[in-house]
Amino acid sequence: MNMVFQINGRDVGIEVSDSELLLDTLRHIGFSSVREGCGVGACGSCTVLVDGKSVSSCLVLTSRCNGSSILTSEGLADDDPVVSQFIKNGAAQCGYCIPGFVMMVSELLSENPIPTEQEIYNHLEGNICRCGSYPEIVQAAMDASKAKQTSKLTC
Amino acid sequence: MRPNVFRPQSLQEACSLLEEHEEALVYGGGTALQILLKQGILVGSSFIDISGIPGLAEISFTDDFLRVGPMVTLRRMERSEEIRELFSLASSAYAKVANPRVRNTATVGGNIAHGDYRLDPPVALLVLGASVELTSRNSIRKVPLEEFFVDFQVTDISAGEIVTAVEIPRSIHIVGSSFVKLSSLSANDWPSASAAVGLMENDNGVHTLRLALGALAATPVMATVDIRNLNLDQTLEASLSKAMELMDPIADVRGSVKYKLRLGRVAVEEAIRSAWKEVPNGR
Amino acid sequence: MGGDLTNLEIENDAAAVGQSWQRSDLEAKVRGTFRYTADLPVPRCLYLGVHRASQPHARILNIDISSALEMPGVVRVVTGADLFGIYGELIYTGPAFADQPPIAIDKVRYVGEPIAVVVATDLITARAAADEVYVEYGELPAVLDVDDAISGSDYVHEHLRPSSVFSDLKHLQGRGETNVNYEYNLTSGDVEKAKANSDKTVSGEFWCPPTSHVAIELFSTTAWVEGNRLEVVTTTQTPSYVRQALASMLDIRLNQVRVRTQPLGGGFGSKMYDRLEPLVAAISWTYKLAVKLEITREETFVLTTRHGVAVSSQMSADSIGMIVSAEADVRYDTGAYADIGPRIASKSGMVACGPYKVANARVRSRCIYTNKTSAGPFRGFGVPQVTWSHESLVDELAREFGEDPAQFRRKNLLREGDVAPMGTVMHSADFVGCMDAVTSAIGWNTPLERARGPWRWGRGVAVGIKAVLTPTISNAVLQLNQDASATLLISTVDMGQGSDTIMAQIVAEILCLGPDQVRVVNPDTDITPYDTITAGSRSTYHTGNAVKKVAERMREKLISIAAQLLGVSETDCKLTNGGVVASSSQKYLSIDEIMQLHFGAIGTTLTTESNFTTEWIPYDKETGQSVKVTEHWFAGAAAVELGVDTRTGRIHIAHLAVAGDVGRAINPALVKQQLEGGAIMGLGHALFDEIVMDHGQMINGTLLDYQLPSVKDLPDRLTPIIIENPHQTGPFGAKGVGETAIIPIAPSIANAVRDAIGIRFTRLPLTPERLLMAMAGEGD
Repeated sequence: MNMVFQINGRDVGIEVSDSELLLDTLRHIGFSSVREGCGVGACGSCTVLVDGKSVSSCLVLTSRCNGSSILTSEGLADDDPVVSQFIKNGAAQCGYCIPGFVMMVSELLSENPIPTEQEIYNHLEGNICRCGSYPEIVQAAMDASKAKQTSKLTC
Repeated sequence: MRPNVFRPQSLQEACSLLEEHEEALVYGGGTALQILLKQGILVGSSFIDISGIPGLAEISFTDDFLRVGPMVTLRRMERSEEIRELFSLASSAYAKVANPRVRNTATVGGNIAHGDYRLDPPVALLVLGASVELTSRNSIRKVPLEEFFVDFQVTDISAGEIVTAVEIPRSIHIVGSSFVKLSSLSANDWPSASAAVGLMENDNGVHTLRLALGALAATPVMATVDIRNLNLDQTLEASLSKAMELMDPIADVRGSVKYKLRLGRVAVEEAIRSAWKEVPNGR
Repeated sequence: MGGDLTNLEIENDAAAVGQSWQRSDLEAKVRGTFRYTADLPVPRCLYLGVHRASQPHARILNIDISSALEMPGVVRVVTGADLFGIYGELIYTGPAFADQPPIAIDKVRYVGEPIAVVVATDLITARAAADEVYVEYGELPAVLDVDDAISGSDYVHEHLRPSSVFSDLKHLQGRGETNVNYEYNLTSGDVEKAKANSDKTVSGEFWCPPTSHVAIELFSTTAWVEGNRLEVVTTTQTPSYVRQALASMLDIRLNQVRVRTQPLGGGFGSKMYDRLEPLVAAISWTYKLAVKLEITREETFVLTTRHGVAVSSQMSADSIGMIVSAEADVRYDTGAYADIGPRIASKSGMVACGPYKVANARVRSRCIYTNKTSAGPFRGFGVPQVTWSHESLVDELAREFGEDPAQFRRKNLLREGDVAPMGTVMHSADFVGCMDAVTSAIGWNTPLERARGPWRWGRGVAVGIKAVLTPTISNAVLQLNQDASATLLISTVDMGQGSDTIMAQIVAEILCLGPDQVRVVNPDTDITPYDTITAGSRSTYHTGNAVKKVAERMREKLISIAAQLLGVSETDCKLTNGGVVASSSQKYLSIDEIMQLHFGAIGTTLTTESNFTTEWIPYDKETGQSVKVTEHWFAGAAAVELGVDTRTGRIHIAHLAVAGDVGRAINPALVKQQLEGGAIMGLGHALFDEIVMDHGQMINGTLLDYQLPSVKDLPDRLTPIIIENPHQTGPFGAKGVGETAIIPIAPSIANAVRDAIGIRFTRLPLTPERLLMAMAGEGD
């Protein structure tokens, strides 16, 4: 079928097969931050936001996203506070899973700008970082929350 | 092979498609179906994607019921303020499913239709006395959830039927409730035992304990316990003995039958103690 | 040109070594723009789909590929017989034994072994067609238990086939009627006599199950033919090895094979030696096709595992609590193919008595074939499994004496100059310092409220020892560019440990450069020089030394040119920030000026090269003794405070402290992450991470069922501690840290559980079920 959606703010029109998965579509058109790790929604490496909601793109039919707005980590602003705090905290080792964590933290902070540490854990429990960068990731999430609050105050 | 996907625009059309294509499966959120497809358990099926049908993703309240459309995501159930206010047991069970991404994708209808014995929401919905609305080309019927789960991965859905709503009655007056999920491996794992408890009250005080169990038998199971005039210890004793009758766990990588029986008791006790605390002024 | 020193800032005020430089690729990794191997541009490819064995041990009677071939998009279907017909015996590869065909030839030896490979125009068709291959099996008795494999009369291989890589395995050629492919023996002193004279003896039967590495990046290999050359882009920790293996298999020259890899999305030992490469290369080369194989998570579970290991062990101490003898019978379940198992059996066997002064020791460590997925290297190289034994035993021994387990260890731990049980003198490994640091971090001597409601609390400690891989080789080539930037060519693979960053820091330190001035080129066997492997915590020391040397040579070269230009002696010259200054005249030339004057051109480069090789003295075949069995040792320790929920058996870790002696931390932030990451992986192994098998079939082979630690499984507190005890020959005193943390984790947790509930567990993982059933007196 032919479909149109927005990816990182740009309109994209493509033809997809009925059963194509969003993960494959996005990778095919060059969004390589979206990565397969398990294929069953359990690791979070293929996380993207569809209309602001995190999904495992390995479990989502592309055709279902007709008219939707999709955000991948490549689409975050240069000065995005989540990105900045991940960098500042050195929150990556091999880095493969990190865009997935970044997107989960982005979703969390948009729903809940000042999460508790427990709320961060609850939101990230379905993402696997096999290198074990969790301490830096959690710190980055907390710092990003703070940074967002500060920038709100100064605006 | 890749499945065909039909995209009906009306319920009528969906029901007709289901009749025409016997092998077709209703595609709600698709999380479970995609996994089954990858694992080679589903081969060559057609999917009927019901996301284009208007009105299936609504949460509405009547005087008698909370009515939830099958395409409402689990995450909406978790986050809805109104549901949390009225049916906190449901909110807390929906919040425990898998991870936020799956909950953003998976739907209330698919979750019920999947019929997996370990799922969290059915356990809470059983305690809340929910029922399932099933629609086919020629009929609509309502099945109490207690009768809906028939056997291991088998539900009461007949050929040609689609889950069109889950309804939770407002008449069951629950004053204390709790959902407890115990996993045996990593913290984010499927449960090895789960229990939901609701304490029902009338003018004469708390009289009945509704108890449902997940992951402890081939289907989610439930029972009611008459707890008039019982104190906490007596309630625990009566409920645990009822729970033992319900439990018939399946051994797997998450534990043996013996272990799950023990864990089941812990889940029940913990849920009861926690629900008990919610009852105003004790009993 | 030139300048006066007083006008220039020449002091290298921001030294590189010892600084927590930001990981060189961090921003790209966070933004998602970083390109992994599967993202590299390659020619238009055909895709491969693999039909895998459903039987653990069977003759292949017939392979029906007709319906697969009929599917639209299928180009051909390749079987083992096809490849054997062309390459004969060369088709068998492997680092220690040339025993593994890329596709099963006459029989299958584990569930998941490739039987036929479909070549198709797209991935979905390739995989679907692979399902349409039908195999007729002639079932053979499967060898599924490591001890049955020793005593039984069913054999996984008809005879042993040692590879040409290790000359000391040659004598095993052709040996038959055995599943034991290698046996390491260590003897020192007189164990029987020491035991007879000892005061107390403890013993145990220990088991660590096989586990999966689960690097989140999936394996991917692409190969194509360019003229008479084979190009390979693959996820590997061993590009130099892969080039040699493919050249040998295809019987072509080394310069006809080019192997490239990007930094990996995790390795942990999984992406080593012969993984997808022989299969993809053979198909590409044979049929002159550009082909790509990407496997699913489910397939990675049957590609390689950590060894399941059984250890029967004993330890005895005299009346004052000094360990006088230790014994271990270690059985490594290496699965269907030996991989590097024989090396793991010896290198772990030699430390099976632990980091203790033990005059009388006896170890027998065997590597054993079974009909399971081939086990290979995994962070720790077999050592965590023997540590599980010795750290549990020594804890029990301490308790026998009623002594504090930390104090008991402190008396017995190896110190500088002590001779370890395999005959090598200990140096630069601070076991006591590591142990004291972790126990102090968790408040070992503070009061502990042991019973809190249904919870029982306890503390435990464990110490680990591991040898660095020796002998190994690293090479480095350095190019200094005219603008004072540098390009470093090494074949060390950055897989998250941060080697690209620390190697850049070493160059920067020597050449007085800043963070953005050193680029490390990704491994490419056409460009980057030979390096043994990226594994075994060897890179900081080996590659680090090669890199330090290559940078020093560059400094000498630059100074020599500058001295001539300045008309002063070389000893008068000093390299400073961006240039060379003559101390006597204070004349200064920038690097740009030096090279401009030297070459008379712009954009020029200077090149130096270096080699760093370590040597060992091979251990005696009968006694396992060697005065230099390794270049150096890693020392690590972990201490933990935890509670056990007596209702559910669940463990809650309040505090886990882990320390490693890293010699010197070149980048403390990255070292800290290695310690944390190793600890978290070890915590998974301790609590729930395992491959569960039923009749040779893995039954938890998806990430829905296979359990890994998530953020919710973290201890309440995790304290990484860097111990710096500078290594005499390390670059700036540094040595590796990749494996140090994981080694003591599981026994430290088990020792704390013992402390909390009084039960000694000898089988991993410590699942709630195991604990609950043991507390109920129904344990296994």
